[in-house]
Amino acid sequence: MTPSMNRRSILKAGAAALSLAALGAPGLALAQEQRLRFLWWGSQERADRTNRALEAYKAAAPQTQIVGEFAGWSDYWPRLATQVAGRNAPDLIQMDYRYIFEYARRGALLPLDEYLGQTLKIEDFGAANIDSGRVDGKLYGINLGVNSSSIAFDAAAWEGTGATPPTPETTWEEFAEAATTFGENKPKPGYYASADAGGVEPAFELWLRQNGKALYTPEGGLGYEPADAAKWFALWADMRERGACVPPDIQALDQLNIETNALTTGKAATAFMHSNQFVGYQALNKAKLTLGPYPKGAKDGPSGHYLKPSMLLSLSAATGGADAAVAFANFLVADIAGAKAIGIERGVPASQAIREALTPELNEVDTAMVDYIALITPGVGPLPAAPPSGAGEIQFVQKRVNEEVGFGQITPEQAGETLHSEASAILQRG
Amino acid sequence: MRTGRSPARSALIHLILILASFAMLYPILWMVSGSVRPQDELFGTASLWPSSVDLSAYVRGWTGLQVSFGQFFWNSLVISVLATIGNVVGCSLAAFAFARLKFGGRNFWFALMLGTLMLPYHVVLIPQYILFLELGWVNTPLPLIVPKYLATDAFFIFLMVQFFRGIPRELDEAAVMDGCSPWRIYWKIMLPLSLPVLATAAIFSFIWTWDDFFGPLIYLNDINTYTVQLGLRSFVDSSGASDWSALFAMSNLSLVPIFIFFIFFQRLLIEGIATTGMKR
Amino acid sequence: MTMQSVATDLGGANAPAGAVPGAARRAWARNGPAYLFLLPWLIGFFGLTLGPALASLYLSFTNYDLIRSPDWVGAANYVRIATADPKFAAAMKVTFLYVVLSVPLKLAFALLVAMAFNRGLKGLPVYRAIFYLPSLLGASVAIAVLWRQLFASDGLVNMVLWQLFGIEGPSWISNPNYSLYTLVILSVWQFGSPMIIFLAGLRQIPTDMYEAAEIDGASKARQFWKITLPLLTPVIFFNAVIQTIDAFKAFTPAFIISEGTGGPINSTLFYTLYLYQEAFGFFRMGYASALAWILVVIIAAFTAFSFLSAKYWVHYDD
Repeated sequence: MTPSMNRRSILKAGAAALSLAALGAPGLALAQEQRLRFLWWGSQERADRTNRALEAYKAAAPQTQIVGEFAGWSDYWPRLATQVAGRNAPDLIQMDYRYIFEYARRGALLPLDEYLGQTLKIEDFGAANIDSGRVDGKLYGINLGVNSSSIAFDAAAWEGTGATPPTPETTWEEFAEAATTFGENKPKPGYYASADAGGVEPAFELWLRQNGKALYTPEGGLGYEPADAAKWFALWADMRERGACVPPDIQALDQLNIETNALTTGKAATAFMHSNQFVGYQALNKAKLTLGPYPKGAKDGPSGHYLKPSMLLSLSAATGGADAAVAFANFLVADIAGAKAIGIERGVPASQAIREALTPELNEVDTAMVDYIALITPGVGPLPAAPPSGAGEIQFVQKRVNEEVGFGQITPEQAGETLHSEASAILQRG
Repeated sequence: MRTGRSPARSALIHLILILASFAMLYPILWMVSGSVRPQDELFGTASLWPSSVDLSAYVRGWTGLQVSFGQFFWNSLVISVLATIGNVVGCSLAAFAFARLKFGGRNFWFALMLGTLMLPYHVVLIPQYILFLELGWVNTPLPLIVPKYLATDAFFIFLMVQFFRGIPRELDEAAVMDGCSPWRIYWKIMLPLSLPVLATAAIFSFIWTWDDFFGPLIYLNDINTYTVQLGLRSFVDSSGASDWSALFAMSNLSLVPIFIFFIFFQRLLIEGIATTGMKR
Repeated sequence: MTMQSVATDLGGANAPAGAVPGAARRAWARNGPAYLFLLPWLIGFFGLTLGPALASLYLSFTNYDLIRSPDWVGAANYVRIATADPKFAAAMKVTFLYVVLSVPLKLAFALLVAMAFNRGLKGLPVYRAIFYLPSLLGASVAIAVLWRQLFASDGLVNMVLWQLFGIEGPSWISNPNYSLYTLVILSVWQFGSPMIIFLAGLRQIPTDMYEAAEIDGASKARQFWKITLPLLTPVIFFNAVIQTIDAFKAFTPAFIISEGTGGPINSTLFYTLYLYQEAFGFFRMGYASALAWILVVIIAAFTAFSFLSAKYWVHYDD
């Protein structure tokens, strides 16, 4: 993979000479200090808060120097993958609930079980919030914030059309009815009650859970039948037909992020999202938004919601300073000073004590997120079975299949078959 | 310059050019308007006119990141200038050999050189990263600069070869008769006569290095060494809160240096031949 | 000066001429200076480019998930691509369509504008700068947002269509029937680079040739066909080859519509985007490397064909 040794040393000598003239790059640090690298994704707001935490930690543990690196979400993953592949992984890695399985199962992350209850004092997270960092029984990630699927909507727009805005008790049928009313009285052309969530995997998952199914079985197979998926696609085909949600060519512009969602682009009054994104949504929307749970399958049925980590903190399996890294992680999630520095910007803290300590400092939007988690917590179900290897690809299939229904290329029945068979093939390939 | 057409036709050409200019300028106008309008109307409307004007995004953008945006400009400038010099020097040497010198294996090397253009970057990224890691160059700008001096961008070699071959051979044949070495021919005849293509290469290398995003993303980890493009991406995180107005404000500012560079070098491009007065 | 002057077969498949044995000094006198000029490139090629390229070729015969060591699987990746990968076919279709549409349009547009700019007209530097602006923007986030708004159902394009022709257009950018064409338009709109190269080529044509033609009474059209076009062929050839390679490797435009998913319904699934998804999205770097080398073969075939055809239409002065 690398050229011969001679050439390498020649180039190395040249590089050393050249690098003296390079910009103020602090790289090439050959000093032997306890130096840890921490890589996360996020915007400047998160960086500012994290840097405050790093400052605070410097006072608490002067022997450890932690260097922060960050990038936006879509830039983060190629950068992390390259560093891991180059055996140059950062010591502390911010992890996503979907990717943690990919990284942990391939041995890139360090199991943290031996620190649990020792230097990692997160017992008050509760079992569910600890277990959400487990992969195949071992703890690979520390919950940085609690999160759940949710909807955000412009209540005033709903009311303006005479339709009842969704409440925590609204069923899918009622939601569709109200959204149809919305569509009949809509204030402007090209504006709809709801985005089309037929291609959104977390929405499908929640709906399956409301119906006693799941995306995956504990054995790593698919937890639903083609007919279930067909019913889901039919639900949205019906919504489109009734003018209750956006047409397919509007939905196709949704890149599953905040700035392209139909709510943000002014095409719909309701978005399906994750609760920790609420701050981001409110910032890009003029109208005051309301955060709420999904429509239910049946009035007395389960909500389908579960608490998942908005993000996790993992350690590289190759870290040379595991003890120091765990100590820092503990500072962020279990120490009031650290937790106050990062606030609830990464998600609602799993620890009840930390949550209460932060409450006085929260603004209206933050409070809405904390209240939302409190609202749904009594009704949440257990964590779903872990996604099997390769599952990350299936969400793209679902998005595509829903588009094929939307643009009239296939029927919902065919869509159910297609999703099921393609997803099975992907899982088989692993 | 050939002139002498009717005023009416000239006016018509101007009219067409002005209309087309608007199509070219529209995105810039839109970006300027995007940088001063309230963030919550950025994505919902296609109109150019902001409902209100607020210049604070420029201040926020310049100072809002933990490192001043001026630092990013400086970093980008250093990297782009050094890379541009490297490209022009390294590639013109190789191009001269391919275009003018006779040597065994010329076609073979030329084909290999073109071949390096064809492999998608993403599959060599990781081996290359490992290579630069071994060299100790990661987290320095060296991986973005040194390869240019080693003529690794075949685009520029090929470009220069095509132009060098357009320069009349009688000129260097005469020089050979006078006992000129290849080096003198390269330096005294080729380069001066190739000002348009050298200016073209300079324009492209500067702008492309300035606009490059993936290389800096992989090789520069410390925010103090970030380039403008990395700085711009720091305003936006699609999974959470973002400062879009600041992104647009700084995007506009980031166009200024490359635009100035373009204006300056396009004059070389146009004047090059006219001043050397190539005739035969 | 005739069109019939034959181009040399530079870059063809000719084997390197072998050195005469026992005549090292003569060989050096003949080849030495050239290799000295090539030295930086040779160091770069062997030191920086060749190693990673060979590594990716090796990886294409393995299962490599970026984290664990690669596993040798022989030709399995290639077999799968050839026999059991519907996304490969979809990506090929999108990419070929993009190449076939965007390259000729972009080149024609660039040449046209360059010709217009190569005459004595007041304010030309200003126009030139303005016309290059879209290319300065590259593939920035701002362009992505703007393009989505221009070609949306209520975007500027549809507003113009409605006002001028009373046509109610669809959401061009997000309809699988049209989405790729909006990216072709983007590519044509960013015609600045080939335009500058054409312009540099036009400036290199000696003015006395036109003066001589003028004296002979040749019309402007005749001058174009007999002088401008033949002398510009090396540059046209260059632009065609480079733009084709670039279009085959098109990657960033795909992020404008679908943030890299290739949607709607795989209508913008560019080949390198698919390869990137496999490598970094789904941890299949081995498979992605195999996809990459197939692309290399395709591009190389196109390029070789261009060089062979060049003998018949590209005019060099040497």
